[in-house]
Amino acid sequence: MFQNRAEGFALALPAAIFAAVIFIVPVIILLSGGMHVNGHWTLSAYTDFFASSLDRLVLWRTLKLGILVTLVAAIIGYASAFAIVSLSPSSRGRMIGIVVLPLMISPVARTYAWLVILGRTGIVNQALMTVGLTDEPIRLLFSQTAVFVGLLQLFLPLMVISLVSALENMPNDVVPAARVLGANWLQIFFKVILPLTREGLVIGGTLVFVGSVTAYITPAILGGSKVLTLVTLLYQRVTIANDLVSASVIALILIVMSFGTNILLRKIATARNRA
Amino acid sequence: MKARLPSYAVLTLLVLFLVGPFFVIVAASFSAGSTLAFPPQGFSFKWVEKVFTVESFQASFALSMFLAIVATFAALVLGVPVSYALSRYRLPLAETVRTIVSSPIIVPGIVVGLALLRYLVVPFGMDITLSLFLAHTALVLPYAVRVVSASLENLRSDIEEAAVLLGSSRIGAFFRVVLPNIRGGILAAFILGFVTSFNQVPVSLFLTGPGVRTLPIDMLGYMERTYDPSVAALSALLAFMSIGIVFIAERFIGFSRYV
Repeated sequence: MFQNRAEGFALALPAAIFAAVIFIVPVIILLSGGMHVNGHWTLSAYTDFFASSLDRLVLWRTLKLGILVTLVAAIIGYASAFAIVSLSPSSRGRMIGIVVLPLMISPVARTYAWLVILGRTGIVNQALMTVGLTDEPIRLLFSQTAVFVGLLQLFLPLMVISLVSALENMPNDVVPAARVLGANWLQIFFKVILPLTREGLVIGGTLVFVGSVTAYITPAILGGSKVLTLVTLLYQRVTIANDLVSASVIALILIVMSFGTNILLRKIATARNRA
Repeated sequence: MKARLPSYAVLTLLVLFLVGPFFVIVAASFSAGSTLAFPPQGFSFKWVEKVFTVESFQASFALSMFLAIVATFAALVLGVPVSYALSRYRLPLAETVRTIVSSPIIVPGIVVGLALLRYLVVPFGMDITLSLFLAHTALVLPYAVRVVSASLENLRSDIEEAAVLLGSSRIGAFFRVVLPNIRGGILAAFILGFVTSFNQVPVSLFLTGPGVRTLPIDMLGYMERTYDPSVAALSALLAFMSIGIVFIAERFIGFSRYV
């Protein structure tokens, strides 16, 4: 540790000032715009938002999608992470590589694939018609299910990676020990594995939830204007209605959801660890 | 310890779900038909060829490439010193500094883009390309700080203290002792930053102007206008580019442990 404070600050300040000027200040001005209407400081834009049934529906839908994606990602994530850590070290590395790889591929490309799969002439409809379950293509796109599947595919790798590293850090002998002591698999999972991997679950859960509620591409392509989420609603408010006040309200809600999840889940992780 | 069969079944499904869509795009891009369909109608290279003839794709690809390289470089120029200061100096307000430089990752991209458009571009008449550069630099900064900080934490600080005791200047010790040892981390941060910037959509969504559009935004616009497989072909090409980059990075620096 070096003690020279002036030197330390000289190294740290350029980045901090840059982030503050380019980023924090404009965002704060934007947020204050939602509380400053017609020259007055007021929360009327917020009461308007919660009074509008469309806005409430979109908020609820966004939350619901975020929670569902996170829950399903956690279930698939645990199953996959167990399978991955049971592999030999070399195939484990290769498998982690395969899981990480999609994260590097453009989300536009990854979401576009679902148009091919779920579209009118897509794989699912072709298969359904060949089997004879339906005579004409059914509409799979522009539904909540399509958005859900797209988001899950986009963010699942983050959950799997977090849980794999949590399981790798878990002592090897605790599961056999619990088994010897007569615990069944359900008890082992909830009483041994879950508490020991909570931190990984919390990190993965935060990434998946925040990613899902703040995603733009997936709801825009797979949901369209039929399945609006907060982010696509914000985009419409700016580009179609030119309603900056309402956009600023949505922006604050999004930031609260993102910051709130980060803080809340961090608290849960540390509080339970102390107990 | 565990039954192997269920484990393989789970992994097969996982890989199918994560990687399968990629094969679908590749197959769709070789279609001979004029609309997007699967299974593809016939086989041809015409959509792959078309990608290279669409002028707006050329311009937006060049812009995205330029932005990704320059913004990531700028983020490292800002990020390496702040990471070094946070790991090696006892700073008051260290946590505040860390929160400030990491905040662009927590605030949703679309909010950042809108804020920059309304309060930097519109009032100050800032050039769109410049605003994109600043926005992407801010966006990559948290990744640069995270990856470089992790590398610095793994490097024992007594070797540079020894260099200073032996008469090297602080700066000399940094360039001759620290930097060579965190090369892998810096390279990983560069690749992660490059990919993040190149694929970025929400931040750039509002920051478009006449003839100034990043590639993913351009693709989204093209998809709304036409339903031909050229976007599939372009998506496949981009995916191959990413796979190539990750594969090389994995071989040389073990990229996945930095993500």
